[in-house]
Amino acid sequence: MLKFLKQVGDYAKETVQAAKYIGQGLSVTFDHMQRRPVTVQYPYEKLIPSERFRGRIHFEFDKCISCEVCVRVCPINLPVVDWEMNKTTKKKQLKHYSIDFGVCIFCGNCVEYCPTNCLSMTEEYELSAYDRHELNYDSVALGRLPYKVTDDPMVTPLRELAYLPKGVTEPHGVPADAQRAGLRPEQILEQEQAKN
Amino acid sequence: MEGIDLQQTFIRSLTELGVPGGAAKAIWMPLPMLLMIIGATVGVLVTVWLERKISASAQQRIGPEFIGPLGVLAPVADGLKLIFKEDTVPAKADPLLFTLGPVIVVIPVFLSYLIVPFGQNLVITDVSMGVFLWIALSSVVPIGLLMSGYASNNKYSLLGGLRAAAQSISYEIPLALAVVAVVMMSNSLSTVDIVNQQSGYGILGWNIWRQPVGFLIFWIAALAECERIPFDLPEAEEELVAGYQTEYSGMKFALFYLGSYVNLVLSALLVAILYLGGWESPVSLTWLASLVGVSETSAWLEIVDAALGITMTLLKAYFLVFIAVLLRWTVPRVRIDQLLDLGWKFLLPVSLVNLLLTAALKIAFPVAFGG
Repeated sequence: MLKFLKQVGDYAKETVQAAKYIGQGLSVTFDHMQRRPVTVQYPYEKLIPSERFRGRIHFEFDKCISCEVCVRVCPINLPVVDWEMNKTTKKKQLKHYSIDFGVCIFCGNCVEYCPTNCLSMTEEYELSAYDRHELNYDSVALGRLPYKVTDDPMVTPLRELAYLPKGVTEPHGVPADAQRAGLRPEQILEQEQAKN
Repeated sequence: MEGIDLQQTFIRSLTELGVPGGAAKAIWMPLPMLLMIIGATVGVLVTVWLERKISASAQQRIGPEFIGPLGVLAPVADGLKLIFKEDTVPAKADPLLFTLGPVIVVIPVFLSYLIVPFGQNLVITDVSMGVFLWIALSSVVPIGLLMSGYASNNKYSLLGGLRAAAQSISYEIPLALAVVAVVMMSNSLSTVDIVNQQSGYGILGWNIWRQPVGFLIFWIAALAECERIPFDLPEAEEELVAGYQTEYSGMKFALFYLGSYVNLVLSALLVAILYLGGWESPVSLTWLASLVGVSETSAWLEIVDAALGITMTLLKAYFLVFIAVLLRWTVPRVRIDQLLDLGWKFLLPVSLVNLLLTAALKIAFPVAFGG
C-alpha cells in the first residue's frame, strides 16, 4: 500500500514538474510577443553588407596579365581566360574573361591569389535571372560596379547587428553617424602608434 | 431572468402582419442557422488571422501586413485562392469517399454550433442533451478522416487517417468524463442550464474553481480533438506530409482547413461555456443592476445583457484560442506512443478520479457542488 502511494506521489510530482516546464515555456513565448520584430522589409529596406562581404566578383580587364592563377586556385576551375600570345610584344594578350555565377561558390580564392589585384569582391548579392545562362558574366558585366544600398533613394539602409552602437539591437532609427560598438580600425592604429 | 427572446418577438411580429403562425415559424427557422454558419465562418477568418499574427509576434516577425489593414484580409485571400484552385482527384483514388471525407469532417463541426449559447435565449436550439449531442457529433469526425485517408490511395494519407482515428477515439473518453463531472454538478446536459448553474456569483461561481482538474483534462483533450500542436501528428507536415490532407487541393482542402479552425473555435467556446461561465461576466450583472437600482426587466438592461453576453463568450473563447496558438510555439509535437500513453494512462485515470471525487463532493457538500 505504502509503495503504491509512493508511486502515485512520484507520478504526481512528475506531472507538476512537467506542467511547470510547460508554463516556463509559455512565459518565454509570451515574452517574445512584446519584443520588436526583427523583420527587414526587403525591397524597401536592405541591410548594408559588411566590408568582408563576398558578393559578385568585380574584374578589371586592363590589369589582368592572363596568368590563370585564378583558374588554378578555383575549386572547380571556373574562370574562363581566353588569351592569345602577342608575337610583337611577346606578352599574353587577354581577349575574353568570364565567370559563371550560377556555378561560383563565392569562396574568394581567385580574389585572394590574383597577383595584380584585378579581381575583387563587391557587395552585390541580387543575382537573380530568368535564364541560368544570364549568370555567365563576361568581362563587361564583371567590370560593372554595383549600386550601393546607401545611395539608393528607394531603399532604407539598415545596419547589421555587428555595426550597431553598443547595447542597440534594433537598426531602425539609428542615426547614420552613431558609431558602432568597439573601436574602428583607424582608432586602434592611432592607439598603437601612441603607445610606441 | 429571461433575457431577449428573438424567436418569440420575430414570430409575433410576423403573425401581427398577417402571416399564419406555422409559416412564421418556418420563416424563422433558417435564420439562426444562416447566422450561425456566417458567424462560424467569420470566427474562422478571425482565428486564422489571429493565428498568423500571434505566431508572427511569438517569432519576432510581423506577419501579414499589406493585405488590408494589419493584414486582416489575409485569410479572405487564402479562401479565395482555395476556391479558384483546381480540384484534383488522384489517380486510382476512390472518388466518392474522397469527396465525402471532407464533407463528413466539416458538417458535424458546424452542426455542433447548435448547442453553443451566447445568452439565455441566444442559442439555436436549447437541446436538453446539448453536450451529449456535441460529444456524439465530434465522434463522427474521425470517420471522415479515416475515409479521406483511405480514399486518397496514398500510404501517408492512410497513416494520417489511422492516427487521427486512434487519437480521436482515445481522447474522446477523458473528454466525455470531464464533461460528465460538470454535468453531474449542474444536473443537466443542456448547455444553457450548465451556464445558469455557474451564474450568480460572478467569477467565483465559474466551474473552473470547482473543476480545475476537469478543466485541464478537457482543454488537453479538446486540443487533441482539434489536432492542434502538440497533438497534430495526424497532419504532421514533417513526418507524414500533412497526413490525410496530402492529396487534397482546392475546395476540398478548404473544407478541412475550415473544419479544423471551426473545431478550434468550437472547443474554445465549449471550454468557455463549461468552465468559464459562458456568457456570464466576471462581475455578475444582475448584482450590479440591483446595486445601482435598475429593474432587472427593463428593456435596455436586457439589450446590454445580451450584448455583453455575446462579447463575454467570444472574449473567453478567443482568449483560449490565444492560449492554443501560444502553446503551438511552445510545446513540441508528441510521438504517437506518447500521445496514446498520455490519453490512456494519464488522462483517463485522472478524469475517472476527478469524476469520483466530484460525485463524493456532491454528496458531501451539496450546496457548493449542485446537490
